[in-house]
Amino acid sequence: MAYDGKDKVLEEVTAKAYEFGFTTDIESDKAPAGLNEDIIRMISAKKNEPDWMLKTRLEAFEVWKTMEEPEWPHLSYTQPDYQAMSYYAAPKQKKKLNSLDEVDPELLRTMDKLGISMEEQKRLSGVAVDFVMDSVSVATSFKAKLGELGIIFCSMSDAVQEHPELIKKYMGSVVPTRDNFFSALNAAVFTDGSFCYIPKGVKCPMELSTYFRINESGTGQFERTLVVADVGSYVSYLEGCTAPQRDENQLHAAVVELVALDNAEIKYSTVQNWYPGDADGKGGIFNFVTKRGICHTRAKISWTQVETGSAVTWKYPSCILKGDYSVGEFYSVAVTNNAQQADTGTKMIHIGRNTHSTIISKGISSGRSQNSYRGLVQIMPSAENARNFSQCDSLLMTDTSGAHTFPYIEVKNPSAKVEHEATTSKIGEDQIFYCLQRGIDAEQAISLIVNGYAKDVLNQLPMEFAVEAQKLLAISLEGSVG
Amino acid sequence: MSVGAKTTPALGPQTIRQHAASQKQGLAHVSHLSEILSFENESNDVIGALLKELAVPHRRTERWKYSPIAGFWKKHKPATCVTIADSNCEAQPVPGLDAYRLVFVNGTFDPLASDLPIAAGVVCMPLSDAVRSGIVQREISSVEKSEWFAALNGQFAGEGMYLAVEKAVELDRPVLIHQRQQGAGVPTFLRHVIELGAQSQAQVVNWSSASSDASGSVNTLTEVHVGEQAVFTLDKVQDESGEVHHLAFEAVDQAANSTFKIHTMTIQGAWVRNDLQICLSGQGCDAHLNGIFLPTAKEFVDNHTTVDHREAHCTSSESYKGILYGQSTGVFNGKVFVRPDAQQTNAYQQNANILGSRQATMNAKPELEIYADDVKCSHGCTIGQFDDEALFYARSRGIGEDEAKAMLVHAFIGDVIESIAIPEVAMEVRHRLSEKHNWDRWDDANLL
Repeated sequence: MAYDGKDKVLEEVTAKAYEFGFTTDIESDKAPAGLNEDIIRMISAKKNEPDWMLKTRLEAFEVWKTMEEPEWPHLSYTQPDYQAMSYYAAPKQKKKLNSLDEVDPELLRTMDKLGISMEEQKRLSGVAVDFVMDSVSVATSFKAKLGELGIIFCSMSDAVQEHPELIKKYMGSVVPTRDNFFSALNAAVFTDGSFCYIPKGVKCPMELSTYFRINESGTGQFERTLVVADVGSYVSYLEGCTAPQRDENQLHAAVVELVALDNAEIKYSTVQNWYPGDADGKGGIFNFVTKRGICHTRAKISWTQVETGSAVTWKYPSCILKGDYSVGEFYSVAVTNNAQQADTGTKMIHIGRNTHSTIISKGISSGRSQNSYRGLVQIMPSAENARNFSQCDSLLMTDTSGAHTFPYIEVKNPSAKVEHEATTSKIGEDQIFYCLQRGIDAEQAISLIVNGYAKDVLNQLPMEFAVEAQKLLAISLEGSVG
Repeated sequence: MSVGAKTTPALGPQTIRQHAASQKQGLAHVSHLSEILSFENESNDVIGALLKELAVPHRRTERWKYSPIAGFWKKHKPATCVTIADSNCEAQPVPGLDAYRLVFVNGTFDPLASDLPIAAGVVCMPLSDAVRSGIVQREISSVEKSEWFAALNGQFAGEGMYLAVEKAVELDRPVLIHQRQQGAGVPTFLRHVIELGAQSQAQVVNWSSASSDASGSVNTLTEVHVGEQAVFTLDKVQDESGEVHHLAFEAVDQAANSTFKIHTMTIQGAWVRNDLQICLSGQGCDAHLNGIFLPTAKEFVDNHTTVDHREAHCTSSESYKGILYGQSTGVFNGKVFVRPDAQQTNAYQQNANILGSRQATMNAKPELEIYADDVKCSHGCTIGQFDDEALFYARSRGIGEDEAKAMLVHAFIGDVIESIAIPEVAMEVRHRLSEKHNWDRWDDANLL
């Protein structure tokens, strides 16, 4: 390509240190390394859980012991040693907090660095933030306001104590314990997470959001998120992740379950920016996440994700379209750079009649990274008139990166219409040339083109997130044309 | 813990875990076959080791997840019929086709029914003769190293066709391989080796048929080397009655600027899997893969294709079309693999399917695996049903529903059949399809 400074730009960008890499110095309460029944009992006891919860955990542990880590993803990594990591870490201050003043100033500074100052968030964006720092929720805002509407938005540990009937009913109903290796592990050792319940007919007036952050060195984080939207309700849920720079790989095996009852709608948006490791592929987060939602009659679940981080990503937000006329959507932008690897996509399982699903996946590979889309569209015999449209595009930035597509299409009903298309190409030299000609430098041109390429997905994000996502795309990619 | 950056991508699944029960089953099958088959590559330690090392496919093997293989483990028995004269079948299945012919009945070469080419620059003979006379050396192909069933073929296949065409020689007539499966429980292993010199041209038709009482299994491995600037066409027609389990591997290696075209026509077959692996090992190669499958009743048809783009400036285009009736199951798995050096690749893959009945199932997995950036790769996959509006149009003009559907089918798969280079084969495929599906109109000259 014939413009100057390309290599320089590339070097600058790839050399850019992870912006959010820092460690908060808080003394933490950490379990010894290893996983056995005693550790699970300890986690359960620390969290003061009822017996039924402990029983569920121990059952999950028994199941997990019989399972094997999946090898089918298009990923190459050394499997973590599950007995060498610690399964529980909580900041030591355990007393109940009523206002921000009581929060450890160190924690507040962390939030500031992340750009989510609580005051700022509260005042400007109207977003209630349930901030999870190393597995234990330390600050919750807007709870009272949501409470007026009957909306429950709290940490999973609180939910287990306060709303056991809802937890018993819905937890594990979408992602059963024996679903896969990581979901079983999560069910056994999950430490915290968020729980959200929207009562009948309520439209949640604000975007609910959770910030996750892995902080303690050498600890895995196992969140469990459960969102239940009762009949006719609506909720938009945001999840964003940043993690500090570490040399050691850290495991993140979360489970997210969504339940959309009749006529309900859940919009779940994620911006994932875990630490991807350095330019040589050293360090970084292993992100093995099971996300799944179930749609009852006329319900809708929409997943939107912007994936820019993690050394290894294994993530398939899925929809079970159980009810008639239910709708599932999946919009994804996955960016990989340097030595990152991503195997991500979705599953749309059509069971009900007249169910619709849409999949838009945009992959961008740069550096030496490998970016795979893996998706399943399954039309069961009962899914009369089911409809699916899938589009997976891949953009290659360098000749050393890889872009792969593995769609699985299984149709058992003749009235279904399923379409899948995928393209792979490199960033258009003519487009860059056009921009250069008009005085837009290479870096900006690429940012422009990539943002245009990912627009279909970015448009689906709520406003506050869209801005952050665009910034992330820019950080991850600018100038990295090869 | 570390993240291993992939410098040289590995084709195919990275690790296939062995499954103890399947492994046991597989090895039991090997010893069962050695008891009943007269031929066995006994001296071959490498194959023996591969049969132990490779994972016997099971339900959780990625490449075999949609293909149930239990039928292969059934008890087999030795063939009683080894000549076409005893099989109540024509040696030449394609009327009017002027072609050389090699007939294999239950895996045994039938010299009386065959008509081998004798021409300068062409060597064509049964593989056993070629091996015996030292013309061809027994080599372990790449498929045998990666697929257990291919290794099984390596162990038991002693017969097949050997065809070598010298540089710049053009074979004047197509070569037809007729493979007949006759009787119950017969295990058939065939190995065809085809070598085309630079600038040569050849056409091969691989026709497989079976008697209505036939069962057992057919395991074919075809190795093809297409030399520089050579042109090779392979038309496969599978029209097998009975309950035969048919597994066919084709390993094609193309040198620079060569052209390869294959048609895989599955008319009938209880259980059919075609596993096609094409290696574009030189620059400027051109590969065309086409296929149709119209299973009915409880038939199972699986088409696995892999196009491995190793060098720059190659093109591949692929079009598979399926219409599934009854309780049949169709599988399509197409993989386009573009290696880091294969810049300027142009790869296109299309898979369109129609579910013609309530109980039919289609599983499609069109894959792209791309490690080079300056490429144009796309794939499209659709699964749907007959177009109601088109049916209504036809019916409002007095055409019955079945006939209207037959017309739509004709339009749907017509382009694939028309692209068959040998008109007699295309005609016969049409004829057999219309017989199977009772499309009277198809034989109508107006429609052809």
